[in-house]
Amino acid sequence: MPEDRDWEAYKVPPTRTPAVERTTSLPNPVTFFQTVFGYVVEAPVTFVREWIERQQAKNKFYYYHQKFRRVPDLSECLEGDYLCFYEAEAQWRRDRMVDQEIVEIIRERLGACKQREGPNQFQNCAKEMEQLAQVTKAYQDRYGDLGVHGNARTCLMKQKHRMMEERKAQENASQ
Amino acid sequence: MAAMSLLLRTAAAWGARRAASGAAGAARLPWLAGAARLPGTVAPLRHSSDHGKRMFIIKATSFYDTRFLNLLRFYIFLTGIPAALFITYVNIFIGEAELAEIPEGYVPEYWEYYKHPISRWIARYLLDPPEKDYEKDLALLDVEARKTEMRLMELEARRLMRHRGDGPWYHYETPDKNLVDNSMKSTPDN
Repeated sequence: MPEDRDWEAYKVPPTRTPAVERTTSLPNPVTFFQTVFGYVVEAPVTFVREWIERQQAKNKFYYYHQKFRRVPDLSECLEGDYLCFYEAEAQWRRDRMVDQEIVEIIRERLGACKQREGPNQFQNCAKEMEQLAQVTKAYQDRYGDLGVHGNARTCLMKQKHRMMEERKAQENASQ
Repeated sequence: MAAMSLLLRTAAAWGARRAASGAAGAARLPWLAGAARLPGTVAPLRHSSDHGKRMFIIKATSFYDTRFLNLLRFYIFLTGIPAALFITYVNIFIGEAELAEIPEGYVPEYWEYYKHPISRWIARYLLDPPEKDYEKDLALLDVEARKTEMRLMELEARRLMRHRGDGPWYHYETPDKNLVDNSMKSTPDN
């Protein structure tokens, strides 16, 4: 079954609609449709769902998020130590997946902010936009352009090149 | 011809006249040239019975198509319906696992990292634990690494023995020196 949305994650602030001041004596037709919908659709669905949850509550079981131990990085492996390479590669892949999820979460936060603010989004969501820009730039710096065959070794080489360019830029700046 | 009824005879005569004029009229009016006629309209219709005129509709066979579709549906539903019922039962009465923090001092089993009960069952009873898979991969890598190392060492030993000539390899059988007849080289004027 697809992941349910976590309704607590992006809590919408309470609405500030003013209290209703009736000016007519005609009943609101919306309440009629709301009650009809409630009886025809909502009550049976809620009943069935609660019945299912009662059946499932009889034997509850749990699942956990696996925590992996940190192993020596690729930069700490000796040359020709293929076992160390394999473990470092596995750890790098897990870290890349985690980073992808982080970027996804920041993107969702921006989307939630835009949805919440509506027409005010360009002013009020500046923080989230800035955060997303920074996070995507960091992701691009680390994992971008490695291509589909990117592995821990190519990423390490990219980091080495970045450090070399940084050093060169520093030297040029200090001259 | 005697057995032909009046109806069919009129139809035949009319058809013949139509065919004769059709060949001449095709030049002037191409849409009147002998087109395919529906089987019910060759002869004029008599509204005799309630079912209308019974037709023998000539069309391409759908026997093979319907047979194929029936067999397809049968074989898909043969295992599809029990599988669907089983999965519905599992989803309703057993339900998915809930996410929880790992309790202190508790090491979860490797199947307790999956949400759906069928995935958990498959991970528990059919598949190897991921630690074992990891160790299998590492063992394969280790064996291959040792093989590579051995091969490189053998190549290096062979190169050195060939070069230095002091090893057990690269010995070639040569004839015994006592068998060599040096008489033709013993005097300088031969």
